[in-house]
Amino acid sequence: MESEFLLLTKLLPRWKDIENVIQDEVEARYILKRATDHMENLQSRGDSQAEESRYLVCALVDRNWERIHTGHFSQVPLITRKIYALACYFKIFFLLLESTSPAQKELCSGILDEAQLLGCMDDWTELKAALMDYLDKGGDRDSVTLPILEPLTRISCTCDIPQLEAPSLEEFQTKCFQAGQPTLLLNTIQHWPALDKWMNLNYLLQVAGNRTVPIEIGSNYASDEWSQQLVKIRDFLSRQFGGDTNKTNQEIEYLAQHELFSQIPALKKDISIPDYCSISKENPPEAVDIKAWLGPAGTISPMHYDPKHNLLCQVFGAKRIILAAPSDTDNLYPHESEFLSNTSQIDAAHLDLDSYPLLEKVKFYELLLQPGDCLYMPPKWWHYVRSEAPSFSVSFWWE
Amino acid sequence: MPLLFTGFNAFGQHECISRDVDCAAGFSEINAPVSTQNQCTISIGFRYAALAFGRKLWLRGLLDDGPNECVTLKAAGDIKALAAGDSHCLVLLESGQLYRVQPKLQAELLVVRLEAPPRSNSGTKRSFFGAPKAPSSPIIEHIACGSHINVAVSSENAVFSIPSCLHQFAERQFRVKQLQCGHEHAVLLNVNGDVFTWGNGLRGQLGQPVLKVEETPQLMEALAGIKITQIAAGGWHSAAISAFGDLYTWGLNCSGQLGMRVMKPGGFLKEPTVYPLPQLQDLPECGCSKEAKSNEHDDDDCAPLRVFAGSRHTLLTRRCGRLWASGWCQHGQLGTQLQNRSYMDAFQALDGIRLNTCSDDVLCGPWSTLLSLKGSGN
Repeated sequence: MESEFLLLTKLLPRWKDIENVIQDEVEARYILKRATDHMENLQSRGDSQAEESRYLVCALVDRNWERIHTGHFSQVPLITRKIYALACYFKIFFLLLESTSPAQKELCSGILDEAQLLGCMDDWTELKAALMDYLDKGGDRDSVTLPILEPLTRISCTCDIPQLEAPSLEEFQTKCFQAGQPTLLLNTIQHWPALDKWMNLNYLLQVAGNRTVPIEIGSNYASDEWSQQLVKIRDFLSRQFGGDTNKTNQEIEYLAQHELFSQIPALKKDISIPDYCSISKENPPEAVDIKAWLGPAGTISPMHYDPKHNLLCQVFGAKRIILAAPSDTDNLYPHESEFLSNTSQIDAAHLDLDSYPLLEKVKFYELLLQPGDCLYMPPKWWHYVRSEAPSFSVSFWWE
Repeated sequence: MPLLFTGFNAFGQHECISRDVDCAAGFSEINAPVSTQNQCTISIGFRYAALAFGRKLWLRGLLDDGPNECVTLKAAGDIKALAAGDSHCLVLLESGQLYRVQPKLQAELLVVRLEAPPRSNSGTKRSFFGAPKAPSSPIIEHIACGSHINVAVSSENAVFSIPSCLHQFAERQFRVKQLQCGHEHAVLLNVNGDVFTWGNGLRGQLGQPVLKVEETPQLMEALAGIKITQIAAGGWHSAAISAFGDLYTWGLNCSGQLGMRVMKPGGFLKEPTVYPLPQLQDLPECGCSKEAKSNEHDDDDCAPLRVFAGSRHTLLTRRCGRLWASGWCQHGQLGTQLQNRSYMDAFQALDGIRLNTCSDDVLCGPWSTLLSLKGSGN
């Protein structure tokens, strides 16, 4: 057994660490007790029980996958997501005991990503980082070379909402936050290393290429053609930005609304949470949700609204944005279904007044979001977003 | 009554008679605590199985600390039906009284008190002296449960989300034929052949065009006008068979449980994972009786007859007695011969099984399948 792998097993949770966490969970207690026993006594025991323990751990992963997919994700008890993450860790270790071949490591890294996406790993971040590091080593990847994007020349065009040049916190609070006024904030994220670094897509490939993320396929999430898939960032980047010229029947893929920065801490160092997000009616303010939006030209988020304050920061590329006030909700034809009730049926870029006559009454606001700009949107403001070029935006949501 | 089992049994929920696999499809015979000729009632939960005969009830599996734990209880009367859920098992007596029991070593049968349904048509009953009579507790005829749903239907067609009354079917002649639950939705079939669904439909479980939660039973418009004879509810999917011998499936298809193709990672063909409306399944020709009576072979001989569903798998019997299946098979729920695959996304015959369609029965646990063979066929 590799010594490096043995060192990793020392980071695995011990029975005494998790016993209290999973108190009333009969299945998890029985299975994780066996698994921790096995891992704590690796040298001293034979393999007679290994097969059964490994099977039980896999069953615990499957079982909690089902529990996580029952009911609304927001209602899933934290304990279920913790057990899922724990079971995934042990499944990975059992798989690595069988083999540490590159293919097996690749498989394990996929499991780790799923644990990250569905589970709750907050209690074991050190193990997560060490395991990710270990699994990323020795792969035969990065054979693709991606372009370094050219900076866009700034376009001056009409903007239907107020613009402020790097406002102070007080100014932001009175003119934007309290006034409920969508505003374009200029030159407020110039210090982000991301603005330069991420233009080189090979940097993103190197830091994040091996992670699996949810990708939206199809240009618009409200259309019937739309679907979602888990994909390695490497594959996504090379398909959407690689030198492949034959792009005629290529579908648009969009890494949208994903908490990329908790998954890949290295990328988080390239950005910082703007101070504006600390302004809140709550005291102390709730945590800020940071989401990544990366895709080629032509990705569309149809007219929709979100419940929280939103600061959308443009790292590279440009986005055409159309806004409408919450007071116009009744004139915007929201979808009936529960999933899409925050989404309008209209195509904001091509208004069809025959089918949707009430749109005549709506006041729309248009703007172009360019690199280094931030758009502040108060809660429930409707927005349509279309990328005009390969684009990376970071959004901050807070209450 | 031989019981043939296949699927997840890591907690000793079912006591295998031998370690040998019994038939070609990879089912094994399990032991029932009652003698062979007797018909017993069985329900399979995730970590335990419940089995009843007469007034006796057995719970077996992982109850408190480890596998193969077993408790025996005695009910106040003969047991008619069981519904094994995660946190409790519903126990219905022939008398129509409902009990529940937690799957643990110190298990106890506890009375379930149901809220009285509003009595709009009959008025308040009064005793001889004019005092209003306390409403008698409803007589329950059907039960079903999933991890997020518990349903009972009374003799007067009151539908309970235990313990509260959700709905009352007003029509006198309304008779419930089948009631089934998935993890979080319910499907009800009446003798007229109408299908009603309610509960969480965010994964297409309810067969309605709009994905949403329905608090009360809704008629499935998409099947209106088609007489349905059999239904099944899986974890997040549902299935129905019509009097014409057509099979419909709808809901989540993450593991091929609808018999619809699953999108392969990195594949070029896009397939939806959720089918909100019933999909008519064009089953492959059974082909079983071709050799036997090639001249008089009739397609109807192999028409789908009954359908059954586990968390992510679906089984159907055809008139010829063959068993067909689709869906998740990682834990052997479709027989150990398929265990090396993780799922099947098209219906396929399970070799070596021929059921007596009059007397044999099929039961699905979340990750398992049980055949109860009363006839001679095997």
